[in-house]
Amino acid sequence: MKKNFLKRIAAAGCVATMAAGLLSGCGSGEKNANGDDVVELVWYQVGDTQKDSQMVIDKVNEYITDKIGVKLKVNYVGWGDYNQKMQVIINTGDKWDMCFTCSWANDYLQNVTKGAFLELDDLLQNEGKGVYEAVDERFWEAAKVDGKIYGVPSEKEIGSSPMWVFTKEYVDKYNIPYQDIHTLEDLEPWLEVIKKNEPDVVPLYLTKEYTAPTYFDKIQDPVGVEFGDDSMTVQSVFNTEKMQSTLKTMRKYYKAGYINKDAATTADDKSVKRFVTKGDGQPYAELIWGKDLGYEVVASEIMETQITNASARGAMTAINKNSEHPEKAMELINLINTDQYLRNLLNYGIEGVHWDKVPVDEAEMAAAEGKPYIYDCKVKLNEEKRKDYSVPYWVQGGLFSTYVLDNEPIDKWATFKEFNDEAEEAPTFGFDFDLSPVSTQVAGFRNILDEFGKALYTGSVEPSEYIPQMEKKFEATGIKDVINEMQKQIDDWKASK
Amino acid sequence: MLKEKWKEYRKEKMLQQLDSAPCEFNKIKKSTNVVFNIIMTVLALLSVIPFIFVVIISLTDEHALTMNGYRFIPEKWSLYAYEYIVQAGESIIKSYGVTITVTVLGTLIGLFLISTYAYALSRKTYAYRSFFTKVITIPMLFSGGMIANYLIVTKVLMLKDSIFALILPLCMNSFNVIVLRTFFKTSIPDSVIESAKIDGASEWRLFFKIVIPMALPGLATIGLFLTLTYWNDWFNAMMYIDNQDLIPLQYLLIKIESSIDFLANNKSMLGVDGITAAANLPKETIKMAIVVISTLPIIFAYPFFQRYFVNGLTIGAVKE
Amino acid sequence: MKKKGKGRLDRLRSNKELLMLSMPGAIWFLLFAYLPLFGIFVAFKEYRLSGGFFESLIKSKFVGLNNFKFLFSSGDAWLIVRNTVLYNAAFIILGIVLPVIIALILNELRNKGMAKVYQSAMFLPYFLSWVVVSYCLYAFLSPEKGYFNMIMQQFGMEGVSWYTEKVYWPFIIIFMSQWKGVGYNTVVYLASICGIDKTYYEAAVLDGATKWQQIRYITIPLLRPVILILLIMAVGGIFKADFGLFFQLPRDSGPLYPVTNVLDTYIFRALKTNGEIGMSSAAALFQSIVGFILIMIANKLVSKVDKENALF
Repeated sequence: MKKNFLKRIAAAGCVATMAAGLLSGCGSGEKNANGDDVVELVWYQVGDTQKDSQMVIDKVNEYITDKIGVKLKVNYVGWGDYNQKMQVIINTGDKWDMCFTCSWANDYLQNVTKGAFLELDDLLQNEGKGVYEAVDERFWEAAKVDGKIYGVPSEKEIGSSPMWVFTKEYVDKYNIPYQDIHTLEDLEPWLEVIKKNEPDVVPLYLTKEYTAPTYFDKIQDPVGVEFGDDSMTVQSVFNTEKMQSTLKTMRKYYKAGYINKDAATTADDKSVKRFVTKGDGQPYAELIWGKDLGYEVVASEIMETQITNASARGAMTAINKNSEHPEKAMELINLINTDQYLRNLLNYGIEGVHWDKVPVDEAEMAAAEGKPYIYDCKVKLNEEKRKDYSVPYWVQGGLFSTYVLDNEPIDKWATFKEFNDEAEEAPTFGFDFDLSPVSTQVAGFRNILDEFGKALYTGSVEPSEYIPQMEKKFEATGIKDVINEMQKQIDDWKASK
Repeated sequence: MLKEKWKEYRKEKMLQQLDSAPCEFNKIKKSTNVVFNIIMTVLALLSVIPFIFVVIISLTDEHALTMNGYRFIPEKWSLYAYEYIVQAGESIIKSYGVTITVTVLGTLIGLFLISTYAYALSRKTYAYRSFFTKVITIPMLFSGGMIANYLIVTKVLMLKDSIFALILPLCMNSFNVIVLRTFFKTSIPDSVIESAKIDGASEWRLFFKIVIPMALPGLATIGLFLTLTYWNDWFNAMMYIDNQDLIPLQYLLIKIESSIDFLANNKSMLGVDGITAAANLPKETIKMAIVVISTLPIIFAYPFFQRYFVNGLTIGAVKE
Repeated sequence: MKKKGKGRLDRLRSNKELLMLSMPGAIWFLLFAYLPLFGIFVAFKEYRLSGGFFESLIKSKFVGLNNFKFLFSSGDAWLIVRNTVLYNAAFIILGIVLPVIIALILNELRNKGMAKVYQSAMFLPYFLSWVVVSYCLYAFLSPEKGYFNMIMQQFGMEGVSWYTEKVYWPFIIIFMSQWKGVGYNTVVYLASICGIDKTYYEAAVLDGATKWQQIRYITIPLLRPVILILLIMAVGGIFKADFGLFFQLPRDSGPLYPVTNVLDTYIFRALKTNGEIGMSSAAALFQSIVGFILIMIANKLVSKVDKENALF
């Protein structure tokens, strides 16, 4: 029996080794049309595997094998598993060449600190020159940690702009000048109107993900620096006058019945009729929100879009420090970001199968004359096949070299570019907090924030009573140490700038 | 004197009862039976209702669900979720295959490993009993963690993307060994083993021919636990499987659940990208339909185990 | 010296067969449980990458007990430990009492067919993940549309904001945990009862024992070994909490934290954004050590009163 067991293990081992052998066999020894060796690169991406993924990747491989002598193996990891799985893959030194990283999943800064990613500065001057020049330099600024770049940013919107999202029906009905509404306080008269006249409608619909308008860069939530504070005083966001008055207003609205009672615990329930809610937007976001909700919405910006490290690190691709073929990996990233055929292939799938080119209306084309990122066709997705290949676009590379969809304006990317150019840099943009000296203290923050944050932000509890309670807990956890440490680091950073 | 007599009378009466109506022998009163039945019915309903609820949601029209939330009697019924699953067929059928293979193989391997180990521990004459008990107690509490496990399974045992990565890590655990050891200890009298030893039976023979038949309720319990563990496991698939053909059913489900959760929790960071990504995920009704189709087979497999521990085979029968 | 060696060899020889029976399992434990134990060292390191895992582990800075500090740094450490231990104590007691009672009742039912139906039904909740259960519960408890509030309002009562009122939650959590686990836990006791030699009961009946006496003097004493062993093992898990139960079910609602925050949820929230594997290893190690000590104590206590049925 013992033998039996061992045999099983041995058999399993053999199968695995053989499989591994076969896989690597594809990479080594093979040559492309130019007689170069073909190397296989393993790329971890977030998002679920699509039915036709392999079909698209085969097509990609056909192209890139001849072009740069690379074959690609993409491992798709589901959204919810990506953090955990990448932590294991990276920490165990498993085989991978490239991976998706950003500020909200597979954390960029942590991985850089840990030493997982390769410094790209040299490669970007050679193999990656094309992408380095194409992408807005502020993205590169954000990608720097201690002056070095460790990831290639996907060019998209550089910051998200918090917006009020109004249901168009009521805006039209009551003639509401929504474009003039910006601050939380601006909303008040209209909330009252809705409350009085539309008993079925929640005037201000909030969910548990809601954060009150914040004029503050939460570098290490809740600690950070206020927007526009050039002296860079580090403090807790709940200490700022602005936040305190915002929370009071929220409470006022809640008590007045403007806000749904279950705001602090509910997830977005689309059946609830609402007049206004908050969203984090970008150009043309109204279209997406509208489609999601099933009726038209209009939006107005709450504040100027602020660029922070977190927002400009929204999507990046990093190369493994231990990769055997870093140059090839960079060549590939470069090609994806500069080659229209390849970019659209990865983005939408195979032309003629998943999508077709459609011509652009001449008048529209003429109107867009002279703007950047205009292509001479649009994309019509195949109704049947689109669901078999639908990937998050920014995971693979920048968006500005993709064609737009047939229901989008041809100057979509030009508008994005304008949006990015108009965005303001937060004073702390470019500063990274090394939390290792205070990691113990910081670990306690999340529990406190989750306990009080949602209830305070939605106005569900009395701020004058709960803020002091929360402060007390933060104090016990050692928020002072964190503030002092961050202030020290920020001062050093400012001095070196 | 009178008391003695009465006792004798009762004994006689009892024996009569035993002969005349064996099914009435030693049973609870009818009235008690009614009360017990009522209690059990209530408990059973409490347990079944949420599941029925899940079935109903899976049959609700998606639009009606978004508009009205969960209802016991939906505004509009729909088979859409199941149609979707049938259409997506291939991957679900493959996953079914994986889950069933893993469950059957795993339960068999596990039962073998656990019962042999537990049997040795249950034998009072076994000199290394205490040592091997300690061997399994430590891992009950201490573990090397995810990263160390990953290294062993993928680098030492080379099981990445192998079906054995779904089987081997779960086939044994201290809890099951100890439970089964206790079963062996309590349900197999020492005298049986001693007499078999005197007859010259080897330990292997003793184990297979006498111990296993006598401990069927215990083995069925452990078998059931193993089956459920395998059926519900998704973690090993997440860790060790990249090959889409080796994804078990539960992981399909968990992936949807955790993706929805993740996208909702990172809404402010993802902005509209999160909405677009979430739009590509299967909807609520489909998720519930997967819950239903992934639970049904095991419900049907359940009676197979159940007959061993409800109204089970009595060990008396085997002993003769 | 020689003699001792010979004794050992003899012992080996006479236990050869049983040793062989232990081997497959022992090899499994060696491979899957003992080899990975090196991972524990991560708990004492500030893990940084340089090459493969082992190289990284060796080169990483040794930080002593630093990684453990965050467990105690919050002002709520006491509350969290209290919640964890009290809930688990309740679960352990109910997790023995309820299944034993149900198993006894099921065993006595006159209609065995129904007994099977009941037992199968009670097993169903085990298959629903906590996420799905939390959806179902929300359908009942949702403050705006939930069935409970709708019913209460029909009777002229005011609805309850279930997800912010913490007084109800200790009850809800204990109820739901038993609801989900009772079917599963019953199986062990049912099987044990089935394993009891029927001649005991026959003899008892002949001696005129009532049903209650049979249970009290035959069934329960014969269940004792199983109960004790499960009890000892449960005590080892007293510092570990079922994450889904405390996180998904209350929908991570802040105002409920004072009664729903337990070690596992605290650790999850503390580390969800920081990615230090040293700290997560430290947390797990801390739970294991406490569990280990408790199991040892429980085992000692049990073996004092009942040597036969202790763990070892």
